[in-house]
Amino acid sequence: MSQVVEIGLWQLLLGLIFILIAQTASFVYHLGLNRDITVGTVRTFAQLFLMGYALTFIFQLNNLWFTLGIFAVMAISASFIVRGRVKEKQVPYMLPTFLTMFISYFVTALFVSGLIIGVTPWWEPRYFLPIGGMVIGNSMSALAIALERLFREMRQQKDLIETKLCLGADYREASSEMFKNAVTAGMIPSINAMMGVGLVFIPGMMSGQILAGADPLQAIRYQIVIMLMLVGSTATTSIIAILIVRKRCFGRGEELLLSTSNQ
Amino acid sequence: MQPLLEIEALGFSYENAVTPVFRELSLLVNEGELVLIKGASGTGKSTLLRLICRLQAYEKGRILFRGRAVESIAPAELRHSVTYVAQIPSMMDANVKDNLLFPFSFTANSSRTEPSDKQLSGMLEQFYLQDISLSHQARNLSVGQQQRIALMRALLLDPEILLLDEPTSALDAKSASMVFKIIEHLNSRRGKTILMVTHSNYFPNNVAPVIYMLENRKLRKV
Repeated sequence: MSQVVEIGLWQLLLGLIFILIAQTASFVYHLGLNRDITVGTVRTFAQLFLMGYALTFIFQLNNLWFTLGIFAVMAISASFIVRGRVKEKQVPYMLPTFLTMFISYFVTALFVSGLIIGVTPWWEPRYFLPIGGMVIGNSMSALAIALERLFREMRQQKDLIETKLCLGADYREASSEMFKNAVTAGMIPSINAMMGVGLVFIPGMMSGQILAGADPLQAIRYQIVIMLMLVGSTATTSIIAILIVRKRCFGRGEELLLSTSNQ
Repeated sequence: MQPLLEIEALGFSYENAVTPVFRELSLLVNEGELVLIKGASGTGKSTLLRLICRLQAYEKGRILFRGRAVESIAPAELRHSVTYVAQIPSMMDANVKDNLLFPFSFTANSSRTEPSDKQLSGMLEQFYLQDISLSHQARNLSVGQQQRIALMRALLLDPEILLLDEPTSALDAKSASMVFKIIEHLNSRRGKTILMVTHSNYFPNNVAPVIYMLENRKLRKV
């Protein structure tokens, strides 16, 4: 296989031309995005350089507890990002969401790294952390979409839910449609990704491996495992979290606790 | 004789509210009675009905159904005996038949027999809905027609007590009069116990309702 062609500092800075184009467009058309583009660019450089040094350090350290600690920090950060997107004030959903995310991501990453790829030890940071990161990143978005949809539909359909409750439904029966819609909404992006992969786009991980000189036939195997893993993890995380959070939307008398406005 | 529904010293406040909605509120409803609750807007008439069927939780006092505290009865079981019909009817995006029959798919109603199309059509006539068919889209009906469908849907489950929340407030005079006739018939002919929040006094014929006023956070018999 060929060697990786390295990117030097000047070549890296040359990439800023793309930002210059975006800044010019924002300025000319008064999009008001100049500040965001600048902050985003600085953060991209800073965060990725920091991550590069951190990963180098972690790979050299090669310690189980440190690797798991990093994994926990990633999961905690993801749950805060979910909270920032969902913005629900009436139902306490953070703790079950975080626990579901952590357990589901850990089991998925463990399964893929330890069993399918068969790395020894199973927590080998070079494999476990990137795989964990992909699981967390994708499932986090799915979960945020699913939770936001659940709360929105439960509010919009409050009257219908209460009508069903009044006619003898338990809370599961009264909210089955909202549950189904929320989980489906969360899962659709990863299912769509399976439909388009290889036809519409070359996934980032596979592109990375190919650019790094890997055999494309090996790279696709990794990518297939990753795609399957993402569908599985978004499904389990969304279903378990939505089941728990939906229960929390109802009180002891199975009364709906969400009021029409989220105050 | 044991009352069907008994409320003792009920207390309830909304979250962050300075004054309570109810304080030491009491009420007795006997089997076969038609009880009207009247009162100014915002005094908590709808809230009272919602507390009885546990759509909201109360803080103080007791609500008993057939002598049992409502909290000790499984919510689904309570609600198919004590059925609340909301002020604004809520219909699924489906036809009239599906809207009438969906409660039969719930576990708590599994022992009940689904009525036939013929029985449903007969009921539509009794509810002055002979002009609509079972295949009509329910959400396309007028509010008055939907209100009668909602009432019919509740009655198909044969509850022991019906809680009606201003069932005629959104209706024109003609539709309101039809709903009142139905309620009167249910009470006087079929012996159905009804607790109803209303502004109207319109029961001209065979019914002598028990009337309460909700004021100063309590009920007063008129």
